[in-house]
Amino acid sequence: MLALLATAVDARAQSLDARVATEYGQYADSEHVFVETPSVRGAVSDPTRGWSVDGQYLVDVVSAASADIVSTASRNWTEVRQEGILDASYKPHSFGVQASGYLSSEPDYLSVSAGGAITQDLLDKNVTLLLGYGRSHDVGGRTGTPFSVFSRVVDRDAFKAAVTLVLGPRTVASLLGDVMLDSGDQSKPYRYVPLFAPGTDVPKGASVEVVNALRVSARPLEQLPLSRQRYALTARLAHRFHLATLRLEQRAYADSWAMLATTSDARFLFDLGPRVETGPHARVHAQSSVSFWQRAYTYGPGFDYPALRTGDRELGPLVSVTAGWTLNLGLGSDATPMSWVLGFHIGATTTQYLDDLYLTQRVSALGGMMLEADL
Amino acid sequence: MNERAGAGKPTQVITVLRPIKLLAVLFSAPLLVACAHVAPYERGSLAHPTMTTSDIAPPSEGHVRAVQEGAAGGGDSAGGGCGCN
Repeated sequence: MLALLATAVDARAQSLDARVATEYGQYADSEHVFVETPSVRGAVSDPTRGWSVDGQYLVDVVSAASADIVSTASRNWTEVRQEGILDASYKPHSFGVQASGYLSSEPDYLSVSAGGAITQDLLDKNVTLLLGYGRSHDVGGRTGTPFSVFSRVVDRDAFKAAVTLVLGPRTVASLLGDVMLDSGDQSKPYRYVPLFAPGTDVPKGASVEVVNALRVSARPLEQLPLSRQRYALTARLAHRFHLATLRLEQRAYADSWAMLATTSDARFLFDLGPRVETGPHARVHAQSSVSFWQRAYTYGPGFDYPALRTGDRELGPLVSVTAGWTLNLGLGSDATPMSWVLGFHIGATTTQYLDDLYLTQRVSALGGMMLEADL
Repeated sequence: MNERAGAGKPTQVITVLRPIKLLAVLFSAPLLVACAHVAPYERGSLAHPTMTTSDIAPPSEGHVRAVQEGAAGGGDSAGGGCGCN
Protein backbone atom coordinates (compact mmCIF):
# COMPACT_ATOMS: atom_id res chain seq x y z
CA MET A 1 0.00 0.00 0.00
CA LEU A 2 2.86 2.38 0.88
CA ALA A 3 4.53 1.51 -2.42
CA LEU A 4 1.33 2.36 -4.25
CA LEU A 5 1.08 5.69 -2.46
CA ALA A 6 4.71 6.46 -3.28
CA THR A 7 3.99 5.60 -6.90
CA ALA A 8 0.98 7.89 -6.78
CA VAL A 9 3.12 10.77 -5.55
CA ASP A 10 5.72 10.06 -8.23
CA ALA A 11 3.03 9.74 -10.91
CA ARG A 12 2.63 13.47 -11.30
CA ALA A 13 6.13 13.79 -12.67
CA GLN A 14 5.36 11.16 -15.31
CA SER A 15 2.02 12.73 -16.34
CA LEU A 16 0.01 9.83 -15.00
CA ASP A 17 -3.31 10.22 -13.24
CA ALA A 18 -3.00 9.55 -9.53
CA ARG A 19 -5.59 9.77 -6.78
CA VAL A 20 -5.35 9.08 -3.06
CA ALA A 21 -8.20 8.99 -0.58
CA THR A 22 -8.65 8.31 3.09
CA GLU A 23 -11.88 7.69 4.98
CA TYR A 24 -12.74 7.40 8.65
CA GLY A 25 -16.09 5.77 9.36
CA GLN A 26 -17.88 5.23 12.66
CA TYR A 27 -20.80 2.87 13.27
CA ALA A 28 -22.97 2.51 16.37
CA ASP A 29 -26.24 0.70 16.98
CA SER A 30 -28.88 0.14 19.62
CA GLU A 31 -27.32 -3.26 20.44
CA HIS A 32 -24.17 -1.57 21.79
CA VAL A 33 -22.01 -2.52 18.81
CA PHE A 34 -19.43 0.10 17.84
CA VAL A 35 -17.17 -0.05 14.80
CA GLU A 36 -14.42 2.34 13.76
CA THR A 37 -13.21 1.96 10.18
CA PRO A 38 -10.22 3.96 8.96
CA SER A 39 -9.21 3.24 5.37
CA VAL A 40 -6.75 4.54 2.80
CA ARG A 41 -6.88 4.10 -0.95
CA GLY A 42 -4.58 4.95 -3.81
CA ALA A 43 -4.92 4.66 -7.57
CA VAL A 44 -2.52 5.29 -10.43
CA SER A 45 -3.53 5.13 -14.06
CA ASP A 46 -2.28 5.96 -17.51
CA PRO A 47 -5.34 6.73 -19.63
CA THR A 48 -3.25 6.92 -22.80
CA ARG A 49 -1.78 3.43 -22.43
CA GLY A 50 -4.92 2.08 -20.75
CA TRP A 51 -3.59 0.63 -17.51
CA SER A 52 -4.47 1.33 -13.89
CA VAL A 53 -3.55 0.01 -10.44
CA ASP A 54 -5.77 0.54 -7.42
CA GLY A 55 -5.11 -0.47 -3.80
CA GLN A 56 -7.02 -0.15 -0.55
CA TYR A 57 -6.20 -0.89 3.08
CA LEU A 58 -8.90 -0.90 5.74
CA VAL A 59 -9.09 -1.60 9.47
CA ASP A 60 -12.24 -2.46 11.43
CA VAL A 61 -12.15 -2.07 15.20
CA VAL A 62 -15.30 -3.72 16.54
CA SER A 63 -16.50 -3.68 20.13
CA ALA A 64 -19.75 -5.37 21.07
CA ALA A 65 -22.07 -6.24 23.90
CA SER A 66 -25.15 -7.28 21.92
CA ALA A 67 -28.08 -9.38 23.15
CA ASP A 68 -26.48 -12.47 21.62
CA ILE A 69 -23.42 -11.96 23.78
CA VAL A 70 -25.39 -11.16 26.92
CA SER A 71 -27.54 -14.27 26.37
CA THR A 72 -24.46 -16.48 26.53
CA ALA A 73 -23.14 -14.68 29.61
CA SER A 74 -19.99 -13.76 27.68
CA ARG A 75 -17.85 -10.70 28.31
CA ASN A 76 -17.84 -7.72 26.00
CA TRP A 77 -15.17 -8.03 23.34
CA THR A 78 -13.11 -5.90 21.03
CA GLU A 79 -11.67 -7.21 17.80
CA VAL A 80 -9.56 -5.81 14.98
CA ARG A 81 -9.87 -6.84 11.35
CA GLN A 82 -7.49 -5.76 8.60
CA GLU A 83 -8.30 -5.86 4.92
CA GLY A 84 -6.23 -5.23 1.81
CA ILE A 85 -7.41 -5.05 -1.80
CA LEU A 86 -5.29 -4.71 -4.93
CA ASP A 87 -6.80 -4.30 -8.41
CA ALA A 88 -5.07 -3.88 -11.75
CA SER A 89 -6.49 -3.44 -15.21
CA TYR A 90 -5.14 -3.10 -18.73
CA LYS A 91 -7.35 -1.97 -21.57
CA PRO A 92 -5.37 -0.36 -24.39
CA HIS A 93 -8.24 -0.52 -26.88
CA SER A 94 -11.65 -2.18 -26.84
CA PHE A 95 -10.53 -5.38 -25.10
CA GLY A 96 -9.37 -5.30 -21.49
CA VAL A 97 -8.24 -7.58 -18.70
CA GLN A 98 -8.58 -7.09 -14.95
CA ALA A 99 -6.99 -8.86 -11.98
CA SER A 100 -7.71 -8.47 -8.30
CA GLY A 101 -6.55 -9.81 -4.96
CA TYR A 102 -8.11 -9.57 -1.51
CA LEU A 103 -6.91 -10.42 1.99
CA SER A 104 -8.84 -10.06 5.23
CA SER A 105 -7.44 -11.06 8.58
CA GLU A 106 -8.85 -11.07 12.12
CA PRO A 107 -7.93 -13.17 15.14
CA ASP A 108 -10.31 -16.02 14.29
CA TYR A 109 -10.85 -15.61 10.56
CA LEU A 110 -8.68 -15.39 7.46
CA SER A 111 -10.00 -14.80 3.97
CA VAL A 112 -7.94 -14.78 0.78
CA SER A 113 -9.29 -14.36 -2.72
CA ALA A 114 -8.09 -13.71 -6.24
CA GLY A 115 -9.93 -13.12 -9.44
CA GLY A 116 -9.85 -11.86 -12.96
CA ALA A 117 -12.15 -10.52 -15.63
CA ILE A 118 -12.18 -9.67 -19.31
CA THR A 119 -14.07 -6.76 -20.84
CA GLN A 120 -15.01 -5.99 -24.42
CA ASP A 121 -16.39 -2.74 -25.85
CA LEU A 122 -18.88 -3.10 -28.67
CA LEU A 123 -20.77 -0.73 -30.98
CA ASP A 124 -18.30 2.18 -30.65
CA LYS A 125 -18.17 1.77 -26.85
CA ASN A 126 -21.92 2.10 -26.46
CA VAL A 127 -21.98 -1.43 -25.04
CA THR A 128 -19.40 -2.97 -22.69
CA LEU A 129 -19.41 -6.62 -21.68
CA LEU A 130 -17.62 -8.17 -18.71
CA LEU A 131 -17.02 -11.78 -17.72
CA GLY A 132 -15.27 -12.48 -14.44
CA TYR A 133 -14.29 -15.28 -12.10
CA GLY A 134 -12.91 -15.24 -8.58
CA ARG A 135 -12.03 -17.85 -5.99
CA SER A 136 -11.82 -17.28 -2.28
CA HIS A 137 -10.53 -19.44 0.52
CA ASP A 138 -11.71 -18.70 4.07
CA VAL A 139 -10.44 -20.26 7.28
CA GLY A 140 -12.47 -19.70 10.42
CA GLY A 141 -11.48 -20.72 13.92
CA ARG A 142 -11.65 -19.63 17.55
CA THR A 143 -9.82 -16.66 19.01
CA GLY A 144 -6.78 -17.86 20.94
CA THR A 145 -6.78 -21.29 19.30
CA PRO A 146 -4.37 -21.91 16.40
CA PHE A 147 -5.97 -22.81 13.07
CA SER A 148 -3.96 -26.05 13.19
CA VAL A 149 -5.94 -27.10 16.28
CA PHE A 150 -9.39 -25.97 15.19
CA SER A 151 -10.49 -24.49 11.89
CA ARG A 152 -13.22 -24.67 9.31
CA VAL A 153 -12.64 -23.99 5.64
CA VAL A 154 -15.10 -22.35 3.29
CA ASP A 155 -14.27 -22.06 -0.42
CA ARG A 156 -16.16 -19.91 -2.87
CA ASP A 157 -16.26 -19.80 -6.66
CA ALA A 158 -17.73 -16.53 -7.86
CA PHE A 159 -18.79 -15.92 -11.46
CA LYS A 160 -19.77 -12.52 -12.73
CA ALA A 161 -21.26 -11.24 -16.00
CA ALA A 162 -22.13 -7.64 -16.69
CA VAL A 163 -23.22 -5.43 -19.53
CA THR A 164 -23.11 -1.62 -19.58
CA LEU A 165 -25.32 0.23 -22.03
CA VAL A 166 -25.08 3.89 -23.01
CA LEU A 167 -28.72 4.88 -23.29
CA GLY A 168 -28.08 8.50 -24.26
CA PRO A 169 -25.59 11.38 -23.85
CA ARG A 170 -26.64 11.69 -20.20
CA THR A 171 -27.79 8.20 -19.26
CA VAL A 172 -25.97 4.95 -18.66
CA ALA A 173 -27.30 1.64 -17.37
CA SER A 174 -25.73 -1.62 -16.33
CA LEU A 175 -26.93 -5.11 -15.60
CA LEU A 176 -24.78 -7.32 -13.40
CA GLY A 177 -25.25 -10.99 -12.59
CA ASP A 178 -23.44 -12.84 -9.80
CA VAL A 179 -23.30 -16.57 -9.16
CA MET A 180 -21.52 -17.53 -5.94
CA LEU A 181 -20.95 -21.18 -5.05
CA ASP A 182 -19.93 -21.70 -1.41
CA SER A 183 -18.72 -24.99 -0.03
CA GLY A 184 -17.72 -25.67 3.56
CA ASP A 185 -19.07 -25.25 7.05
CA GLN A 186 -19.95 -21.58 7.68
CA SER A 187 -21.40 -22.29 11.14
CA LYS A 188 -20.08 -19.93 13.84
CA PRO A 189 -18.25 -21.86 16.57
CA TYR A 190 -19.41 -19.30 19.17
CA ARG A 191 -23.10 -19.29 18.28
CA TYR A 192 -25.20 -21.43 20.60
CA VAL A 193 -28.84 -22.00 19.68
CA PRO A 194 -31.43 -22.15 22.49
CA LEU A 195 -33.56 -25.31 22.40
CA PHE A 196 -37.13 -25.66 23.66
CA ALA A 197 -39.48 -28.51 24.51
CA PRO A 198 -42.06 -29.25 21.79
CA GLY A 199 -45.11 -27.04 22.17
CA THR A 200 -43.34 -24.26 24.08
CA ASP A 201 -44.74 -20.85 23.11
CA VAL A 202 -41.84 -18.42 22.72
CA PRO A 203 -42.98 -14.93 21.71
CA LYS A 204 -41.24 -12.80 19.05
CA GLY A 205 -38.55 -10.64 20.57
CA ALA A 206 -38.56 -12.66 23.81
CA SER A 207 -36.02 -11.19 26.23
CA VAL A 208 -32.89 -12.98 27.44
CA GLU A 209 -34.65 -13.64 30.76
CA VAL A 210 -37.77 -15.13 29.11
CA VAL A 211 -35.68 -17.33 26.78
CA ASN A 212 -33.56 -18.58 29.67
CA ALA A 213 -36.70 -19.38 31.65
CA LEU A 214 -38.31 -21.34 28.80
CA ARG A 215 -35.39 -23.16 27.18
CA VAL A 216 -33.97 -26.54 28.16
CA SER A 217 -30.45 -26.71 29.51
CA ALA A 218 -28.93 -28.19 26.32
CA ARG A 219 -27.72 -25.49 23.93
CA PRO A 220 -26.32 -26.95 20.70
CA LEU A 221 -23.95 -25.00 18.49
CA GLU A 222 -25.20 -23.55 15.23
CA GLN A 223 -25.17 -25.95 12.28
CA LEU A 224 -25.60 -24.62 8.73
CA PRO A 225 -25.75 -26.59 5.46
CA LEU A 226 -22.33 -27.40 4.00
CA SER A 227 -22.91 -25.73 0.65
CA ARG A 228 -24.76 -22.71 -0.62
CA GLN A 229 -25.46 -21.45 -4.13
CA ARG A 230 -26.21 -17.74 -4.27
CA TYR A 231 -27.52 -15.74 -7.22
CA ALA A 232 -27.91 -11.99 -7.59
CA LEU A 233 -29.06 -9.80 -10.45
CA THR A 234 -28.37 -6.07 -10.11
CA ALA A 235 -29.51 -3.26 -12.38
CA ARG A 236 -28.08 0.27 -12.14
CA LEU A 237 -29.14 3.44 -13.89
CA ALA A 238 -27.34 6.78 -13.72
CA HIS A 239 -28.63 9.98 -15.28
CA ARG A 240 -26.79 13.29 -15.32
CA PHE A 241 -28.99 16.38 -15.23
CA HIS A 242 -27.54 19.84 -15.85
CA LEU A 243 -26.23 20.16 -12.27
CA ALA A 244 -27.20 16.90 -10.61
CA THR A 245 -26.88 13.12 -10.86
CA LEU A 246 -29.58 10.57 -10.10
CA ARG A 247 -28.46 7.00 -9.39
CA LEU A 248 -30.89 4.11 -9.03
CA GLU A 249 -30.06 0.50 -8.18
CA GLN A 250 -32.18 -2.60 -7.83
CA ARG A 251 -30.88 -6.00 -6.74
CA ALA A 252 -32.79 -9.27 -6.70
CA TYR A 253 -31.27 -12.17 -4.80
CA ALA A 254 -32.03 -15.86 -4.29
CA ASP A 255 -30.05 -18.76 -2.88
CA SER A 256 -30.23 -22.51 -2.34
CA TRP A 257 -31.13 -21.98 1.33
CA ALA A 258 -34.43 -20.56 0.03
CA MET A 259 -33.68 -16.97 0.95
CA LEU A 260 -35.20 -14.38 -1.37
CA ALA A 261 -34.22 -10.73 -1.08
CA THR A 262 -34.74 -7.42 -2.79
CA THR A 263 -32.64 -4.29 -2.35
CA SER A 264 -33.46 -0.84 -3.74
CA ASP A 265 -30.97 2.02 -3.54
CA ALA A 266 -31.25 5.62 -4.72
CA ARG A 267 -28.85 8.57 -4.56
CA PHE A 268 -29.38 12.12 -5.75
CA LEU A 269 -26.32 14.34 -5.79
CA PHE A 270 -26.70 17.95 -6.86
CA ASP A 271 -24.15 20.72 -7.33
CA LEU A 272 -24.44 23.86 -5.22
CA GLY A 273 -21.86 25.76 -7.22
CA PRO A 274 -18.53 24.43 -8.47
CA ARG A 275 -17.24 23.53 -4.98
CA VAL A 276 -20.21 21.87 -3.28
CA GLU A 277 -21.87 18.58 -4.17
CA THR A 278 -24.54 17.26 -1.81
CA GLY A 279 -27.68 15.15 -1.68
CA PRO A 280 -29.76 12.40 -0.08
CA HIS A 281 -29.42 8.63 -0.16
CA ALA A 282 -32.08 6.01 0.56
CA ARG A 283 -31.92 2.21 0.68
CA VAL A 284 -34.55 -0.43 1.40
CA HIS A 285 -33.69 -4.09 1.88
CA ALA A 286 -36.17 -6.91 2.52
CA GLN A 287 -35.49 -10.62 2.78
CA SER A 288 -37.26 -13.85 3.60
CA SER A 289 -35.80 -16.40 5.99
CA VAL A 290 -33.75 -19.42 5.00
CA SER A 291 -35.70 -22.69 4.85
CA PHE A 292 -34.38 -24.00 8.17
CA TRP A 293 -35.01 -20.78 10.10
CA GLN A 294 -37.05 -21.14 13.30
CA ARG A 295 -37.56 -18.58 16.00
CA ALA A 296 -37.64 -21.35 18.59
CA TYR A 297 -36.05 -24.71 17.74
CA THR A 298 -37.53 -27.71 19.53
CA TYR A 299 -35.95 -31.07 20.17
CA GLY A 300 -37.37 -34.18 18.55
CA PRO A 301 -38.08 -37.72 19.79
CA GLY A 302 -35.11 -39.06 21.73
CA PHE A 303 -33.99 -35.48 22.44
CA ASP A 304 -32.61 -35.15 18.88
CA TYR A 305 -31.38 -31.71 17.87
CA PRO A 306 -32.70 -30.24 14.62
CA ALA A 307 -30.10 -31.15 11.96
CA LEU A 308 -29.88 -27.55 10.73
CA ARG A 309 -30.20 -24.66 13.17
CA THR A 310 -29.08 -21.06 13.39
CA GLY A 311 -29.32 -18.00 15.56
CA ASP A 312 -27.94 -15.66 12.89
CA ARG A 313 -30.67 -13.08 12.49
CA GLU A 314 -29.28 -12.05 9.09
CA LEU A 315 -30.61 -15.44 7.95
CA GLY A 316 -34.09 -14.61 9.26
CA PRO A 317 -36.85 -12.45 7.78
CA LEU A 318 -36.12 -8.74 8.04
CA VAL A 319 -36.74 -5.35 6.50
CA SER A 320 -34.26 -2.50 6.76
CA VAL A 321 -34.65 1.12 5.71
CA THR A 322 -31.72 3.53 5.43
CA ALA A 323 -31.78 7.29 4.97
CA GLY A 324 -28.59 9.27 4.56
CA TRP A 325 -26.95 12.42 3.31
CA THR A 326 -23.68 13.18 1.51
CA LEU A 327 -21.74 16.44 1.38
CA ASN A 328 -18.59 16.90 -0.73
CA LEU A 329 -16.61 20.14 -0.60
CA GLY A 330 -14.11 21.01 -3.31
CA LEU A 331 -10.86 22.40 -1.90
CA GLY A 332 -8.83 22.52 -5.11
CA SER A 333 -7.80 25.48 -7.22
CA ASP A 334 -10.35 27.62 -9.06
CA ALA A 335 -9.56 25.74 -12.26
CA THR A 336 -10.06 22.27 -10.72
CA PRO A 337 -12.00 22.77 -7.46
CA MET A 338 -12.85 19.06 -7.04
CA SER A 339 -9.24 17.89 -7.39
CA TRP A 340 -9.19 17.98 -3.57
CA VAL A 341 -12.42 16.85 -1.92
CA LEU A 342 -13.38 16.84 1.73
CA GLY A 343 -16.46 14.66 2.06
CA PHE A 344 -18.92 13.76 4.80
CA HIS A 345 -21.62 11.12 4.84
CA ILE A 346 -24.12 10.18 7.50
CA GLY A 347 -26.91 7.64 7.51
CA ALA A 348 -29.39 5.99 9.85
CA THR A 349 -30.84 2.51 9.41
CA THR A 350 -33.77 0.88 11.13
CA THR A 351 -34.05 -2.88 10.82
CA GLN A 352 -37.24 -4.75 11.72
CA TYR A 353 -36.66 -8.39 12.69
CA LEU A 354 -39.90 -10.14 11.88
CA ASP A 355 -39.46 -13.50 13.62
CA ASP A 356 -36.55 -13.42 16.06
CA LEU A 357 -35.62 -13.98 19.65
CA TYR A 358 -34.23 -11.10 21.74
CA LEU A 359 -34.86 -8.37 19.17
CA THR A 360 -37.64 -6.95 17.05
CA GLN A 361 -35.81 -3.81 15.95
CA ARG A 362 -32.31 -2.41 15.68
CA VAL A 363 -31.43 1.21 14.97
CA SER A 364 -27.96 2.03 13.70
CA ALA A 365 -26.05 5.08 12.55
CA LEU A 366 -23.03 5.32 10.27
CA GLY A 367 -21.02 8.46 9.71
CA GLY A 368 -17.83 9.09 7.86
CA MET A 369 -15.34 11.71 6.77
CA MET A 370 -13.29 11.40 3.61
CA LEU A 371 -10.40 13.30 2.05
CA GLU A 372 -9.62 12.64 -1.60
CA ALA A 373 -6.98 14.28 -3.77
CA ASP A 374 -5.75 14.21 -7.35
CA LEU A 375 -1.97 14.37 -7.29
CA MET B 1 -29.28 -35.39 12.10
CA ASN B 2 -26.84 -35.10 9.19
CA GLU B 3 -29.30 -34.10 6.50
CA ARG B 4 -27.64 -31.19 4.71
CA ALA B 5 -28.19 -29.32 1.49
CA GLY B 6 -26.27 -30.23 -1.66
CA ALA B 7 -26.09 -33.94 -1.03
CA GLY B 8 -27.22 -35.10 -4.53
CA LYS B 9 -24.71 -34.05 -7.21
CA PRO B 10 -26.86 -34.34 -10.42
CA THR B 11 -29.61 -32.33 -8.75
CA GLN B 12 -27.05 -29.77 -7.62
CA VAL B 13 -25.66 -29.36 -11.17
CA ILE B 14 -29.15 -28.78 -12.58
CA THR B 15 -29.93 -26.36 -9.77
CA VAL B 16 -26.76 -24.40 -10.54
CA LEU B 17 -27.14 -24.40 -14.33
CA ARG B 18 -30.75 -23.24 -14.43
CA PRO B 19 -30.05 -19.73 -13.05
CA ILE B 20 -26.91 -19.46 -15.24
CA LYS B 21 -29.02 -20.09 -18.35
CA LEU B 22 -31.50 -17.49 -17.15
CA LEU B 23 -28.68 -14.98 -16.65
CA ALA B 24 -27.33 -15.71 -20.15
CA VAL B 25 -30.72 -14.90 -21.66
CA LEU B 26 -31.03 -11.73 -19.58
CA PHE B 27 -27.58 -10.50 -20.62
CA SER B 28 -27.97 -11.23 -24.30
CA ALA B 29 -31.38 -9.54 -24.48
CA PRO B 30 -30.04 -5.95 -24.21
CA LEU B 31 -27.74 -6.64 -27.18
CA LEU B 32 -30.71 -7.47 -29.36
CA VAL B 33 -32.42 -4.14 -28.85
CA ALA B 34 -31.15 -0.96 -30.47
CA CYS B 35 -28.92 1.11 -28.20
CA ALA B 36 -28.60 4.84 -28.61
CA HIS B 37 -25.43 5.63 -30.54
CA VAL B 38 -23.63 8.33 -28.62
CA ALA B 39 -20.51 9.79 -30.22
CA PRO B 40 -17.38 10.36 -28.11
CA TYR B 41 -17.77 14.17 -28.23
CA GLU B 42 -21.25 13.84 -26.71
CA ARG B 43 -20.04 11.98 -23.61
CA GLY B 44 -18.95 14.81 -21.37
CA SER B 45 -21.76 14.15 -18.89
CA LEU B 46 -21.03 10.41 -18.86
CA ALA B 47 -17.45 11.12 -17.73
CA HIS B 48 -18.62 12.81 -14.52
CA PRO B 49 -17.34 10.85 -11.45
CA THR B 50 -20.87 10.28 -10.15
CA MET B 51 -21.84 8.53 -13.41
CA THR B 52 -19.69 5.43 -12.84
CA THR B 53 -21.52 2.13 -13.23
CA SER B 54 -19.83 0.76 -10.11
CA ASP B 55 -21.11 1.16 -6.57
CA ILE B 56 -20.04 4.56 -5.16
CA ALA B 57 -20.72 3.75 -1.49
CA PRO B 58 -17.72 4.51 0.78
CA PRO B 59 -15.80 1.49 2.16
CA SER B 60 -17.36 1.68 5.63
CA GLU B 61 -20.89 1.67 4.19
CA GLY B 62 -20.17 -1.29 1.96
CA HIS B 63 -18.89 -3.29 4.90
CA VAL B 64 -21.90 -2.49 7.10
CA ARG B 65 -24.25 -3.65 4.33
CA ALA B 66 -22.32 -6.91 3.93
CA VAL B 67 -22.86 -7.65 7.62
CA GLN B 68 -26.45 -6.44 8.01
CA GLU B 69 -27.98 -7.85 4.83
CA GLY B 70 -28.31 -11.57 4.18
CA ALA B 71 -28.00 -11.04 0.43
CA ALA B 72 -24.77 -10.57 -1.52
CA GLY B 73 -23.64 -9.54 -4.99
CA GLY B 74 -23.92 -6.35 -7.00
CA GLY B 75 -20.35 -5.04 -6.75
CA ASP B 76 -18.44 -3.45 -9.58
CA SER B 77 -19.97 -3.53 -13.02
CA ALA B 78 -18.50 -3.60 -16.51
CA GLY B 79 -17.36 0.01 -16.55
CA GLY B 80 -17.60 1.89 -19.79
CA GLY B 81 -20.10 4.62 -20.56
CA CYS B 82 -17.79 7.58 -20.97
CA GLY B 83 -15.63 5.70 -23.49
CA CYS B 84 -12.50 6.83 -21.66
CA ASN B 85 -11.19 3.31 -20.96
